[in-house]
Amino acid sequence: MGTRIRSPLGDRLLRLAIVLVLLGISAAVLVPLLNIVALSLSDTKRVSELRGLDVLPKGFSLIVYKILAANPYFIRSILNSVFITLTGTTINLIVTAMAAYALTRPSLPGRRFFMLLVIVVMVFEPGIVPEYLVVKKIGLMGSLWSVIFYKAVNVYYLIILMRFFEEVPPSLVEAARVDGAGHWTVFRRVMLPLSKSAMATLGLFYGVMHWNEYFRASVYITDPLKYPLQLILRQFVVLDDTSALIGAGTIYSYDEAARLSYAALKAGTIVVAILPVLMLYPLILRYYTRGVMEGGVKE
Amino acid sequence: MASTAALGARIRRDGFLYVLLAPALAYFILFHILPMAGMRIAFEDFRLFGKSAFVGLKHFRTLFSSPGFATVIANTLILSTMKIVLFFPLPIVFALMVNEVRSSVLRKFVQSVAYLPHFLSWVVIAGVWIAFLSPTAGGANELRRFLGLPVLDYMTSKEHIRWVLFASETWRSIGWDSIIYLAALIRISPSLYESADMDGANALQKMRFITLPELVPTMVTVFILNLGFFMNAGFDQVFNMMNDSVISRVDILDTFVYRVGLVNMQYSLSTAASLFKGVIGLVLILSTHGMAKRVTGKGLW
Repeated sequence: MGTRIRSPLGDRLLRLAIVLVLLGISAAVLVPLLNIVALSLSDTKRVSELRGLDVLPKGFSLIVYKILAANPYFIRSILNSVFITLTGTTINLIVTAMAAYALTRPSLPGRRFFMLLVIVVMVFEPGIVPEYLVVKKIGLMGSLWSVIFYKAVNVYYLIILMRFFEEVPPSLVEAARVDGAGHWTVFRRVMLPLSKSAMATLGLFYGVMHWNEYFRASVYITDPLKYPLQLILRQFVVLDDTSALIGAGTIYSYDEAARLSYAALKAGTIVVAILPVLMLYPLILRYYTRGVMEGGVKE
Repeated sequence: MASTAALGARIRRDGFLYVLLAPALAYFILFHILPMAGMRIAFEDFRLFGKSAFVGLKHFRTLFSSPGFATVIANTLILSTMKIVLFFPLPIVFALMVNEVRSSVLRKFVQSVAYLPHFLSWVVIAGVWIAFLSPTAGGANELRRFLGLPVLDYMTSKEHIRWVLFASETWRSIGWDSIIYLAALIRISPSLYESADMDGANALQKMRFITLPELVPTMVTVFILNLGFFMNAGFDQVFNMMNDSVISRVDILDTFVYRVGLVNMQYSLSTAASLFKGVIGLVLILSTHGMAKRVTGKGLW
């Protein structure tokens, strides 16, 4: 190591070019997002001055968020999304962890058969219509539980957790078993405490999945008061359909609202939909990224 | 007698494992196995009430003789090729570039920014991109104006929409998909670079003769495993970014299945298309898994 050799000029120029390209990529990611934030925060009278590459609002106003907050459909959709995300993630973690524990016990009778089942689920997708007909038959239609249960276990995540459980030294489990501990005790007192970071990672995986889910909701849920936020966002921003959002007519209860551009309202809806992900992002970077680094498993 | 006693002891000992497995099992049966069994309606004229009549391959014949379906297959293959083959080198180049950055602050910043879009839903991304590509005040057209080019409505342009999908996929995934390569880069022994320095190698030579060869196994694994999902082509993206003006260019198998099945309520025809896609997907995943396992020792499971 000792004396550091000064890089040749060519190398330094190459590095400079690389830094510029990477900064360009970062700008390409950030500018469209910041522009949406700026649009949602701009003064209603000046919002038309805002151009597509601006990252700072023209003037400042929270009117967009006040209008959104006064809309019962919007507020309900946030509550629905929070409910789906929290309940769904809890169920995901419990069901996935219990299954991963059982499937990694060599003593599980019929283990090969169950593993085959997991692989069948992984490699063959039945398509949306047969799933829709089953959801209809078991009476989950129109209920938020349909959106929660359709992905109670993600087989890829199950396999990630199984790999993790397999690395727990069998001697730890055997020691507890010899002491007379049942499987539940081993699962609760040995496996889960050793898997905190894996469970946190999986919780983030699942949480983001639920928060971003819109498609099953659009198929299974018809009452706009049960829509998750992403579905309201899709109707409003992607389909340009304001019926779900305006519904009660409260949108015009503010004087400024008449002058307000739909673009700004759409921007505000997008920002609210991104916000929880942004708040979790530092945690995600810590756990999720490390998990992928170590596991080398894609999604 | 002895074996019965042993079985009894075994069930007392390990029977509780079934209790732990039961919820996941119930889920797999309800949401995967039952729908798989339900796919028999592809061979029937489905009726909501009463018994559906068996019609053999009728719906498959309808499917393969309709010109719309050929377009859908072509779109699926074209978009998948763009997203799997054309996109493939980009995260590698990105990882190599990040790897060359000396300042850890800058490296962390670039990585944190580039990973972010992966966590946004396609609904959000579509919203952001539709705004950014808007012909009135969108950023892309601001850039075009700056360069003296005429305004372009990307989202409704038949020639551009596939590239919009490619670009937005790149925007979402270039950072995230580079992680697996960065992880491989970290494992390269520094002594290789030190001896290259001794020999007076420059940065490009080190990249060409040390870094890239070390990345090849990862590249092979990623490429092969991605091929297994070739028939998917990105439902959520297309579903949120397509519109009537460009549907003929981006309608893929999954959007076709959705529209025929849940919008037009032709359950049997839609399921026939799902079955077609599912069988090809099955063959692809099994063969790519086998290939990956043979080549690199790592498969999907």
